[in-house]
Amino acid sequence: MIYLDNAATTRPSDGALARAQHFLTECYYNPSALYGGGAEAGRLLTEARSFLVSRIADPAQFSLVFTSCGTEADNQAIFSAARRGNAVTTQGEHAAVYESFKELKNRGVEPRFAPVRADGSVDADALIEMVDAETSLVSVIHVSNETGAINDIAQIARRVKQKNPRAVFMSDGVQAFGKIDVRLTKEIDLYTVSAHKIGGLKGTGALLRRKSYTAISPYLHGGGQENGLRSGTENVFGIACFYYAAQEKFSSMAEDGVRLAQAKERLWELLDKKIYSRISPQDGSPCILTVSAAGRRGETLQRMLWDMGIAVGTGSACNSKKPHSRVLQACGLDQRMLDGVLRVSFSPSNTAEDAKAAALAMNEAARAFGGN
Amino acid sequence: MENLEKVIIVRYAEIHLKGKNRGYFERVFTVNLEKALKGLRHELRRTSGRYLVAAFDERDADEICARISRVFGVHSYSVGYRVPNDLEHLFTAAKVICPQDGTFKVDTHRADKKYPLTSPELNAEIGARLLAEYPGLKVDIRSPQSTVCLDIREDGSALVFGSFEEGVGGMPVGTSSKGLLLISGGIDSPVAGYMMAKRGMDVNFLHFHSYPYTNEQAKDKVVELARILSRYTGGEEVSTVKVTHIQEEIHKKCAAELNVTLLRRFMFRIAERVAQMRGAKCLITGESLGQVASQTIEGITSSNAVVTLPVLRPLIGFDKEEIIVRAKKIGTFETSVLPYEDCCTVFLPEFPAIKPKLPYIEEEEKKLDIEALVQEAIGTLERIPLR
Repeated sequence: MIYLDNAATTRPSDGALARAQHFLTECYYNPSALYGGGAEAGRLLTEARSFLVSRIADPAQFSLVFTSCGTEADNQAIFSAARRGNAVTTQGEHAAVYESFKELKNRGVEPRFAPVRADGSVDADALIEMVDAETSLVSVIHVSNETGAINDIAQIARRVKQKNPRAVFMSDGVQAFGKIDVRLTKEIDLYTVSAHKIGGLKGTGALLRRKSYTAISPYLHGGGQENGLRSGTENVFGIACFYYAAQEKFSSMAEDGVRLAQAKERLWELLDKKIYSRISPQDGSPCILTVSAAGRRGETLQRMLWDMGIAVGTGSACNSKKPHSRVLQACGLDQRMLDGVLRVSFSPSNTAEDAKAAALAMNEAARAFGGN
Repeated sequence: MENLEKVIIVRYAEIHLKGKNRGYFERVFTVNLEKALKGLRHELRRTSGRYLVAAFDERDADEICARISRVFGVHSYSVGYRVPNDLEHLFTAAKVICPQDGTFKVDTHRADKKYPLTSPELNAEIGARLLAEYPGLKVDIRSPQSTVCLDIREDGSALVFGSFEEGVGGMPVGTSSKGLLLISGGIDSPVAGYMMAKRGMDVNFLHFHSYPYTNEQAKDKVVELARILSRYTGGEEVSTVKVTHIQEEIHKKCAAELNVTLLRRFMFRIAERVAQMRGAKCLITGESLGQVASQTIEGITSSNAVVTLPVLRPLIGFDKEEIIVRAKKIGTFETSVLPYEDCCTVFLPEFPAIKPKLPYIEEEEKKLDIEALVQEAIGTLERIPLR
C-alpha cells in the first residue's frame, strides 16, 4: 500500500514506538508519584515539553500544555480567549476551530468568518477589516488541511495587534508543526499541534501558550496536572511517542521539505490535465496536493485507488446527506469540481516513485470511471 | 421460597387454528423458541396450550422476555411462578406477584375441574388473604391497577402470575416456506422482510452493491440491518452481489431515462437465480406503489416480466409514514437512516421514465449481453455471516 493520506493521519514511527516502549512496559509509573519511577516518567514529560516548544518558539516565552488531541487544544484556546465582544476567524479553518466559533454565538460572543481565496488561504485584508476594538480573539489556521495553503500568521498577527493590541491571536498549527518551518513571533499567543500527523499516536496533542498570556482556563478539573490547565494523569507513552517522532521529523525537516515538494510537483506534472485541475497553490505545504477530477466523484476514485494499492484523501463525499467540503465551497469551487476532489498528502517516508505510481493510478482510475 | 419455581409462561397464537397441521406448527414453534433462547440456560416445557420456560437464571429473565417478545407465533407471555396447587402455595406466590398497595383483583382459571374450590371461591379466598396481608390494598373488580392470575393446571400444579405481555403474534417462521428479500439499506425493505416473516416465511437476504461507487460502510449497514431483522426472522447470512459492471454497461449503452428500470430487471433476474440456489420460493421487495419513479405499475410490470417466481410486495399499499412507524418498532429505523447511499447517484438519470413501456425497454435491453452480465454478477456472489 502506498499511503498518501498523511494529512488525515500518519503511520506511527517505528523508531519512536521502539524508544517509547520503555514508558509502556517498564516505566509505567504515574508521573506524579513521589518515588523514583514516578520521577523518571515526570522527567520525560519535562524533556518532551521543552523539546517540542524549543523547535518552534522561545522556551523563555512559551509553555506547553499536553492535551488529548488537536481539537481539545483548539477548544481550550478558543473558549478561554473569546469571552466578550466578537471573535474573528477564517472560512478555511478545520472543523475543530470553525465549529467552536459557531458555538461562541450561543455564549454571547459574535463569531466573524473572513473569506478565503481560491487556494484556501485567507484574504488577510478582509480579515483585518473585521477586527475592531471589541475583538477578543483572532484565529487563523497556519496550513490549510484541505489545500495545503500557508497563511503568513506572523504578518497577520502583527497587523491584528496593530489594530487591537488587546486581541488574542491563535493559530491551528496541526498541519504545519514538524512539516514546515514555524517560528512563533511575539504577536502570536496560542498555537495548537497534534502528534499523529507527524508519526506520533492518536490521542496526543498540545496547546502552546505565551507565558504572559494567563487568561487560559482548564476544561478538565481534577488532580491539577499540566499546571492546573489540564487535569488527568498524563498520557506518558503517547507523549514519549510524540517527542521521539518530533525529534525524527525536525532532524530532517529541511531536506524532507525540498524532496517532498519535488515529489508533489512531479505528481502534478504526471496527472492528465484534461481530467485533473489543481486547487492547491504553488507555494503551499510540501505535503499536500489537492486536485479535482471535475464531474467524477472523489469518493469513488478514492475506493478505486484503494483497490489499486493507493490510499489518498478526498474533499467531498458521494452522499447527498453529507454536504461537500465547507472549506472548498468557500474557495468558490463549483459543484462539479467539489464532487471530484482528491487530496494527496505526503510524509517523509514517501518517495518520488510513490508520487509517480499515484499519478498513473489516478489517471487510470479517472479514465475507468463510469465505465468510460 | 421452597416449591416456588419462577417461570415464563408463553402462549401461542394462530397455531391452534391449523387443524391437522397443528403438530407440525408446534414443532417448528418449539425449534424457534429454542433458537431464540440459545445461549441462555433454560428448560422449555410444553404443557397443554402453552409453553413454560423454567430453570433459568433470574438475572436473565428480562433478556428471555425480550427474546420471546420477538418470536413469531407468540400471542402473549407472563412472568410468574409454578407452585403446588394447595392454598398455602397459591397464597405465597400471590404475595410475591401482588403489589402492596393500590387496587387489585384475583382472577382464577381452572383447567382442573375437580379442584375443591370453584374459581369465584378461589378469587375470594386468596383476595381476602392478600387484603389481610397488605392493608394498603383495595379490591376493584372492574378496573384494577393490578391483577393476580391463578391458573390451576390438571397435574396438581398451578401458575401464578401478574400481567399478560403482548407477543408479536403471527405464525412460526419456517411454516410458510422460504423467501428471498432484496434488502437495500433503506427503510422499507427490512419492514417488508419482517412482515413476511410474521406470516411464517423463512426470510433470506440478498443485497446488491456497486462498489467502488458505493462504499463498504453501506454494505456494513445492510449487514447490521439484517442482523437486527434476523432476531425476528432467524436468517443467518446476507448474500451480496456486485452490479457495478451492469450499471456501467447500462449507463454507456442504453437510454438514460431507463437506467433504473433496466437495473431492476437485472436485479430480479439475479435474485431469481440466487433464490433457486437458496431454495427460496419467492422474492420479497419493499416496494410501495408510487413511492419513487420505478415503483409504478409499469415499473412493476417491467420487473415481473423477467422472472417466474412470485414477487411479494407486502408494503405496496403503505404510506411512508406507516412504514416508518413499523421500522421504528422493529428497531431498524435508526440504522436505515444512517447516511450511506445504497446506489450511487452517478448512474441516476435526472428524469427517469415513470411509465416505461415494455417493448421500448426490451428494445433498449438488446444492446446488452444480458446472460453474460448476469453470469458475471452471480460470480461476485458473497455470503456474509450475521453472527
